Amino acid sequence: MSQIIPRRKFIRSAALAGGSMVLLPHLKGNAMVLASPANGYFLNEFGIDEALCRKLLSKALSRGGDFADLYFEHTVSSFLGLEDGKVNRSYGDITLGVGIRTVKGDQVGYGFTQDLTEESMMSVAATAASLCDTSATAVSDEFSRPALKNYYPVDPGLIEIPGSLKLPVLQQINEKCFSFSPLVVKVNAGFSHDLKHIMVVTSDGIIAEDTQPSGYIYASVVVEKDGKRESSGWNLGGKRDFSYYTSEVVEKVASKAVNNALKLFDAIQPPAGEIPVVLGPGVTGILLHEAIGHGMEADFNRKKISTYSTMLNKKVAEPFVTIIDDATNLNLSGSINVDDEGVPGKKTILVENGILTGYLHDKISAKHYGVEPTGNGRRQSFEHYPLPRMRNTYMLGGDAMPEDVVKAAGNGIYVEDVSNGQVKIGEGDFAFYVSQGRMIENGKLTAPVKDINIMGNGPKMLSNIVMAANDLEMFEGGGGMCGKNGQGVRVSFGLPTCLVKSMTVGGTRQKGGAS
Amino acid sequence: MNAAMQELLNWVIDQTKKAGAPESKVSVSKRRFVDIRYREKRPDTVKEAMTQNLNLEVFMNGRYCSQSTPDLRKSTLEKFIKEVVENASILDQDPYRTLPDPKYFTGITDIGLDQKDTQHGNYSAQDRHNVARSIEEMSLSKGGEKVISVEATCYDSQSEEYVKTSNGFEGSVEETYYSKGASVTMQDEGDRRPNSGYWVSSRIREDLPDSEEVGNLAAVRTMNLLGSKKISTETLPVILENRGAGRLLNGFIQALAGWNIQQKRSFLADMKNKQVGSKVFTLIDDPHIVRGLGSRKYDGDGITAVRREIVKEGLLLEFFIDWYYSRKLECEPTTSWPSNLILPPGNRSVEAIMKGLGRGILITDYLGGNSNSTTGDFSVGIIGQLFDKGRIVHPVSEMNIADNHLKFWNKLIEVANDPWNYSSYRLPSMVFKDVVVAGV
Repeated sequence: MSQIIPRRKFIRSAALAGGSMVLLPHLKGNAMVLASPANGYFLNEFGIDEALCRKLLSKALSRGGDFADLYFEHTVSSFLGLEDGKVNRSYGDITLGVGIRTVKGDQVGYGFTQDLTEESMMSVAATAASLCDTSATAVSDEFSRPALKNYYPVDPGLIEIPGSLKLPVLQQINEKCFSFSPLVVKVNAGFSHDLKHIMVVTSDGIIAEDTQPSGYIYASVVVEKDGKRESSGWNLGGKRDFSYYTSEVVEKVASKAVNNALKLFDAIQPPAGEIPVVLGPGVTGILLHEAIGHGMEADFNRKKISTYSTMLNKKVAEPFVTIIDDATNLNLSGSINVDDEGVPGKKTILVENGILTGYLHDKISAKHYGVEPTGNGRRQSFEHYPLPRMRNTYMLGGDAMPEDVVKAAGNGIYVEDVSNGQVKIGEGDFAFYVSQGRMIENGKLTAPVKDINIMGNGPKMLSNIVMAANDLEMFEGGGGMCGKNGQGVRVSFGLPTCLVKSMTVGGTRQKGGAS
Repeated sequence: MNAAMQELLNWVIDQTKKAGAPESKVSVSKRRFVDIRYREKRPDTVKEAMTQNLNLEVFMNGRYCSQSTPDLRKSTLEKFIKEVVENASILDQDPYRTLPDPKYFTGITDIGLDQKDTQHGNYSAQDRHNVARSIEEMSLSKGGEKVISVEATCYDSQSEEYVKTSNGFEGSVEETYYSKGASVTMQDEGDRRPNSGYWVSSRIREDLPDSEEVGNLAAVRTMNLLGSKKISTETLPVILENRGAGRLLNGFIQALAGWNIQQKRSFLADMKNKQVGSKVFTLIDDPHIVRGLGSRKYDGDGITAVRREIVKEGLLLEFFIDWYYSRKLECEPTTSWPSNLILPPGNRSVEAIMKGLGRGILITDYLGGNSNSTTGDFSVGIIGQLFDKGRIVHPVSEMNIADNHLKFWNKLIEVANDPWNYSSYRLPSMVFKDVVVAGV
């Protein structure tokens, strides 16, 4: 469940953590080990030493190029599922390989292999090098390891989660869901977990390793009343070990899934057209992610595709609006100790007091703009080259009380839960699907709404945020994946209760008419 | 299937049996691909690689586990097989979880589906660069000074898959796949930078249109978005352009899946042999189209693929039910998922249809949105062209359509004569009446 963090407390928490961390509630107890992330894993498990890395990088730069890098990955993914009262399916996957990239200006040569023999990797390095046709570029004589902070401290004994531990958790979810309402007719539950080891080696002499445990539990329920069915679900997780999945977390997931589904029996369709929209705290941060975050990824801006490419250092929002993309929130899905180019995880301010102050950079775009990389170079796996991607994106809270924000809307809709966001980068137009919400009538929350799309334009919406409450929440779901160029990466987001002056609501009812 | 692969699959099944799982299914897939992208008249990215995976499914008295690994060495597979069996052994018993009855493996078509381009080996690096370069050049030339960015892509792959089960199924597939296109961004009024593009794909390279045509259409489709406006919320006829119509149809298709039906998440569960759309609405699943992108001789369960009428003149005839859910639902399996999905084309062009429609919207792209398989409600953002008596008035964006599938497909009044064959969804443009289009 999301935690409420008032703006001032949020800043104070960050300072106390010393690494701009958001302190979240599930990090209590003494079992946490702030271990440094897995140095030596690829040497010990696969015999990948510095000499071999240097040889591969030399091959990747044998025909020239600005720099090259190696990205080793070993991920073990597992999923256990419950259906019709039985934990009756187990799926697993092993991802192992190396991706080799040669970069010349903004051009990329890339190859990968699942075979970590020298012969195979040298062949891939030659593929990456084929982009260039000049004389060789030198590789650094020495490698150093950047000091990395640990934003997902976990108990090493609890990061591998065998099926025997997951099974009772799923059974509990099932029991809880059925216990909450006699109207529940079907429950699906799942426990997904990945343990990812990565090592990035760069031609300018950086070796960075990390171990990233990611996972989540979910419940998805169908409820039935008077022959009518509705469905809903919820998930919680992040970069955590098994100790997170307590009976309290199970109960939160189950109750949220069941209660959300039950609410839908009374849901109505709001009138279609432009109306004021209040975004509730937490998961609605997907709006920031879609409407604003993607357009601020620097690759879209250096290519001049993004509508934000001409807005740097200009006013884009009211002065109370500050938007941050952050790798350093403890245990959130988008947190990273190091990005997939070897840059340590950090916090990046995108909009400060209403002014667009920067973009999200990988190494290529950082060089293009003459700034330091922001640690946003991320990729789905070794099969992909890195791109500027978000991590945990949120807007700081304002001074208003949430109920005052609703009151100020007058007549509109209140959005509680959303999914399936998408943006057109060039136009800035975006859409997201409201799975849970309420009507606002005369400044008060009334009937539930569901299954509608909200449309808007990113820059317009940003300037139309006219009020923000003091209740910033970060979404703690573990299943959030962001897609870009065919690559999915884990992200999270957060938002305080906000009033957007006007957005287009899609429905089947015209204003003042019947459906 | 060559002897070495045959030997590996037999060995895995044998080792799985020895580890304690009497029934199993093993598949090995291999793929090699090249992906070249051009921007600013030079290669932007050049990517090439080969992947392989072995997937093992074990069935132990109703206990089921499926895992995959890229490591095909027997020395490491031994440990892998033991882990898969161990992971299955802790699960609850599920009496419905078995390999399919072998009687469903029989009668596989001997039609040559022509899924592999025999000339793929002659496709050189230079050919690929020429394709991407030509597409970009044509997009830049057609788009003129308004062009901000063009990214032209040329992708191709060659893949093979081998499957064997412990109860007698054996299959293999070799396929090639080609795709090319471009994404074009242009400068519009103010800060708007509309982006669109054009992409095509096929099994056989010669089935693709010329690169110049692809580049030209990518630019034209973006030019068509310049000056877009939002209109007031109205009830209008809409035309779903052929290539994107699957986006809305998918919401209907997902409710036909056995999982959704058995799990009470399908608004179509009780609609078999009932009217779910207008007389114009007919859907056929045809796995035997020569060179079809969804063509197959057997499905994911190994069940022999056959042509089926899913919806006939609005009447729902079939669901997509795999082996496992057929047992839970106590019915015959059909197939796990569509192969080539066909909506038979009509007689008139989109242009001819538009002339008789009055004011309406031609929907060319979508944004966000979702479809609720339990209720049939959907809502999706749309982008397209407002037309009036066959003339384009102006492009529209930042708008939305919403409806319920059981109402929506009854509003289908005509389909055009333009099936989109560069996809496994071979759909023509579709015309719907009385759709609420939300705008201002």
